[in-house]
Parts: sequence; C-alpha cells; structure tokens
Amino acid sequence: MPSAKAESAPVISGIGVATAFGYGVSTFRQALRQPGNRFGVMQRPGRHASDATFPGAELPDPPAGILSARIARTTGLTGHVAVAVLQEAWRDANLDRVAPEKIGLVIGGSNTQAREHLLIQQSYAAKLHFLSPQYGHRFFDSDLCGLCTSVFPIRGFAYTLGGASASGLLAVQHAADAVRSGRVEACIALGALQDLSYFECQALRSLGAMGSVCRPFDQGRDGFVFGECSSALVLSRSGPGYGRVLGAAHIADGNRGPEPSLQGEVRAIRMALADAGIAAEEIDYVNPHGTGSPLGDDTEVAALREAGLTHARINATKSIIGHGLSAAGAVELVAVLLQMTGGFLHPTRNLENPIAPDLHWANGESFQARTALKLSFGFGGINTALVAGALEA
Amino acid sequence: MDTTSILAIITENIRAVVPDLSETSITASDTMSQLGLDSVERQEVVMLTLEAIGLEIPLVQLRGPRTIGDLAELLHAKREG
Repeated sequence: MPSAKAESAPVISGIGVATAFGYGVSTFRQALRQPGNRFGVMQRPGRHASDATFPGAELPDPPAGILSARIARTTGLTGHVAVAVLQEAWRDANLDRVAPEKIGLVIGGSNTQAREHLLIQQSYAAKLHFLSPQYGHRFFDSDLCGLCTSVFPIRGFAYTLGGASASGLLAVQHAADAVRSGRVEACIALGALQDLSYFECQALRSLGAMGSVCRPFDQGRDGFVFGECSSALVLSRSGPGYGRVLGAAHIADGNRGPEPSLQGEVRAIRMALADAGIAAEEIDYVNPHGTGSPLGDDTEVAALREAGLTHARINATKSIIGHGLSAAGAVELVAVLLQMTGGFLHPTRNLENPIAPDLHWANGESFQARTALKLSFGFGGINTALVAGALEA
Repeated sequence: MDTTSILAIITENIRAVVPDLSETSITASDTMSQLGLDSVERQEVVMLTLEAIGLEIPLVQLRGPRTIGDLAELLHAKREG
C-alpha cells in the first residue's frame, strides 16, 4: 500500500538521453540490455595533444535540424546535445500542454564547455583583437540556459548548478523540489555534457583519477574512464511516467579535493532514505557512483555495508557508458528508470574479480525493482543520494 | 581595396552570420537591423570584416554608420587613413 507521501512525490514524466551508443531512450535501453564496447582513444579536436591521448567514449554527431543554421553556428557540442535530449524529454512528457510560465529548467554542471573554450583560445591566440563577440556571452555556463529557453517555451526559471560529478543528480533534486513546492508544474533537470579539453584530461590523469580501462568494482580497476553523455528528465506533479522521486539528500563532507568520505556517503544515504520514509532493507536495487577509482569504490562498498544495503542488487552503469562527470548522475538515473520499467538489470562490464564478491552483482537478468537508490559523489566533498520508486501498478 | 570590395566582404559576412539570408539580395542601402541581425550578430559582422581587411581599430571608432554602404565607406577611410 503506497503511502500518501509516495503518492505526492514528483513523477519523472519524460526522458531524453544521449550516450556514446547514440541518441534516444530506445538506443540507451538496448545498450543497457546488451552492452557493447564504445571505448577507444578520444578523437575530438582539443581532446588530445601531440604528446597525450586519452581513453574514453565519444558521442556520434547530434541529430541535425533541431537548431537553425543561424543558431547552430554559435552553439558548441554541449549545447547541441542539450537541445537534443531536451527535445526528446519535452515530447515524451508532452510539455506543450503546460503553460511556459509553469515550466522550469535546472542544468547540472559547471565549466561544461572547456574544450570549446580551448579551441576558441587557440584560434584567436595570435589575433586577440578580432575575438568573436559571441564568446562574451557563450563563456558562461548559463549560456546553455539561454539557448534552451530560446528554443523551447520555458519561462518559469532556468539556472545552472555545480556539484562536480554529482551535478546531474543534484539537478534532479532541485527540479523535484521545484515541483514539490508548487513553484512550477513541471521542471526539467538536464545533466549537461561535460566537454573536457586535454587540459582537464591531463589534470585528472595527474590527479590519479583517470584510469586506462573502465572496470568499476573490479580488483584490477585503475581509475575512471570518461564517457560523453547527457540526459534530460522532466519532473511533474503527476503521471504517467517512469517512476517517482521518493526522497533525496545532499550534504558536504568537508573535503576539498577528490577524497571520498565514508561518513559523508553513509550520512547522505541515510538522509535520503529518511526523506523517502523507507528503510534500507526495502531498497531493491542500488545504482552506485562506482567510477572505478580504487579508493572511491572501496569507500562506497564500505558505505553500502554500513548503511545496511548489501542485500540489494547492484550494477555499475559507468562500466558501459563511462563517467560523464557533470551529466553522470542524471544519465545513470535514466538507466535506473529504464531498468525498473523494463524489468531487467544490466551487467557490469569488465567485472571479473569483484572487490566485494558477496554483493548481489546483476548480470543482465530479469528483475522487477520497486525501489532503487542512486548515488552520486563529487570532488569537493559533495555527496548526493536519491531514492526512486516505481509508479503504482 | 576599394569600398565596393569592402561592401562585398560585409555582405559575405552577413550571410555567414545569418545563413537564412543566403538567398536574400543585400544592397548598400540596407541596414543590418533591417536585415534582422541582432546586436551581437551586427558586432560579429563588423569584427569578421575588420579581420578580413586587416584593420585593427577600437570598435568605438565605428559607431555611427547606419547602412552597410556607409560602413563600407567608413572602413575604407580608416584603412586608407
């Protein structure tokens, strides 16, 4: 019997998604059911240098025709992909029926267009005087808000928020709050594609964060592997849809850098469960942050043990699509919802010798999760957790 | 480089910035506002033209001209200046 609280929880009524497998929900669902390998040496201009290349998964070209040529020429990759996933989610949720003033947009991610900026800086290095005036508004992250609200009738509000690799899940939390509070009728949470340049890639490698092969929770893991991705989720007051946001939490643990915090993760998990009003043993499925970082994965497993979640099924979506950084939490929440509505759980690629063999690693089986816990953590001590529930039958 | 050549460069840049105008006839008596360019696009056309003709001057010196013909004449004068 669903509680009155669950019945008033915001519904995810529309989804749009892009990963290295391509664009659209059906493409992503198929990739989760039968994951192939999309990783290779990254090829985009500005993402490799003469003396440095990086492994990762890059998107195919965005679908043409969404933006006019006039707007397209001043729009970077992050923007092109944002309008593609937003258009899919918009149509899925039939947002044309909602008054524009009652629609909000929260974009998760900061410094999302670093590679575009690098390319512009390289182009104008010897001719600064002729720098394009377009850059004067494009360099703001919030240019994505301007782009999206100029293309779609969103007139409630729009802003970007930064939470490093937790940005996407944080955007969903803010969108859910905006709907729950009545500020808007529908709110789009968009995990923006983090368009890394070789500077960020090299720094993440120097930091010891970026590895060579994506194998979360395997004994042989050596860091995360980047994967371009983006998604948009429409939060509404009522269904139909893919599931509900039953509860969420967002806390600071006091670390400045990349160090994970066991206490911070456990606290976020417990707060999200309390917000949802459900017990740890009621969680059917956990979609962890699971980057493939040696210390990060160990810490997360310890947090799951301490929070009493070792009974739940678990898999790591980053093993298939890579780490989308700003977008990761929003795209992985889409993976959660597609698995819940599709009655299956995807395998974890490259998981040969799990660091925690006693956990219930999914392997592509049929499974009907009714409740799921999604975790996302960000550099700078940011810990987020979100409880998703299936819609009542 | 004469005024006519500069006008041709301006016209080419207007069409680069606003591809919708590729089939529209553009003459010296048109203003960029009338052609539908917004303020950032107008500034970008000026900047692309300065780059194309190799003229490095403060933009404040280019305030005033209304039509693209006037702009071409002013740029020509600055370049010869």
